[in-house]
Amino acid sequence: MAHSDDCQYNYACAECDLLIDMPAHIPHRTALVCPRCNHTLAVGHRNPKHHVVAVSITAIIVMVIALSFSFISFSANGQQRDINLFQASSELFAQGYYFVALLVLSFIIILPILYLLCLSLIIVNTQYKLHFISTHLLGRIASSILPWAMTEVFLISVLVALIKIVSMADVTLEISFWAYVIFATLFTYVASIVDSHRLWQWIAQGDKW
Amino acid sequence: MVSPTPIDSSKENTTDKYAQGSAAEAGLTNCRLCHHLTDSREQHCQYCNAQISPRVQRSVQITLSLLITSFLLYIPANIYPIMTTEVLGDRSPSTIIGGVVLFLSHGSYFIAAVIFIASIIVPLAKMFALAWLCYAATCRQNIDKYELTRLYRITEFIGKWSMVDVYVVAILVALIQLTGLMSIQVGIAASAFAGVVLLTMLSALMFDTRILWDKAIKK
Repeated sequence: MAHSDDCQYNYACAECDLLIDMPAHIPHRTALVCPRCNHTLAVGHRNPKHHVVAVSITAIIVMVIALSFSFISFSANGQQRDINLFQASSELFAQGYYFVALLVLSFIIILPILYLLCLSLIIVNTQYKLHFISTHLLGRIASSILPWAMTEVFLISVLVALIKIVSMADVTLEISFWAYVIFATLFTYVASIVDSHRLWQWIAQGDKW
Repeated sequence: MVSPTPIDSSKENTTDKYAQGSAAEAGLTNCRLCHHLTDSREQHCQYCNAQISPRVQRSVQITLSLLITSFLLYIPANIYPIMTTEVLGDRSPSTIIGGVVLFLSHGSYFIAAVIFIASIIVPLAKMFALAWLCYAATCRQNIDKYELTRLYRITEFIGKWSMVDVYVVAILVALIQLTGLMSIQVGIAASAFAGVVLLTMLSALMFDTRILWDKAIKK
């Protein structure tokens, strides 16, 4: 049986466990797939660190905007109502549906922000050799929460909800909604650049110093 | 003393359990979080310290148990109202199916189709796909591992999209609160449906596709 010392391979496919010799360099925008099960292992990018940190910080700022203004306004028969993003969760909480309220709040606001924060902290930490927080811990958090971030799903849901009520009353999309659209786009962009191979490669680079 | 048959004893060594060329066969464990290869004898990943094992332990059992729970939750999610609309004191509860029927009767076929697909087809398809994967991984002999892995990928991808229904209710409940005129209350089905989505997603995450690839060499 071969063990880690005499093994020439440095990577195994997450879906079929095939040992793979990962190339040191992957060309820009080229996907590297597992030869056996076709699972996408990594995607090449010219300058991933700068893109990710810049876009993540932009997205966090946009999210702050999305949380500060009103999201949608609704008026019927002379009555008007504005809601902000938090109310999508807090109204459920107020009606006693704590479990759903918690899920909605985490999936659409908390986890996406946490993911971007983790990425930015990992990059800043490894780039400037700071060690005020464990990058391994951050990497574990980021890897675990990615499947639970649902910004794009929420966006589609807003549109479905609008279609449902647009005939009943006047519905206006406010600043916060457009900010959330930008946030979701930026988030999806970041998630498409950062595959787990690249993320852990960054963390490993940080260890060397 | 009964001696084992010679064919079995020669085949039953540890390396035969895993697919050829796999990390597990080479005595290495691939960490599911950080993809660092650690010696199989270790209990924790040497890099990120997560708990590891060559294959997710009791993967099929855990997947199936979460799946059965989510299927049981799916029943109240469809029977009970997901929200109650109150217009001028007149309360009308609506179920998921009720919403689809309502849009069909209004002639909005596109929206009816969107809701029908997102909240009925997708969760059911996901449950059947996972059940089929569990069945194929344990009971069937000649499996198409490539196709099954693709089925898993699709299941994993569509997982979060069934949350649409819960978010729609969350938005409507927040938005439509005009005192005395019209208001919307959440129904118990919203909790059940959120539970269904959560459990099926967990169930998909717990399924280890690597056992499909181990299986193929046994025939």
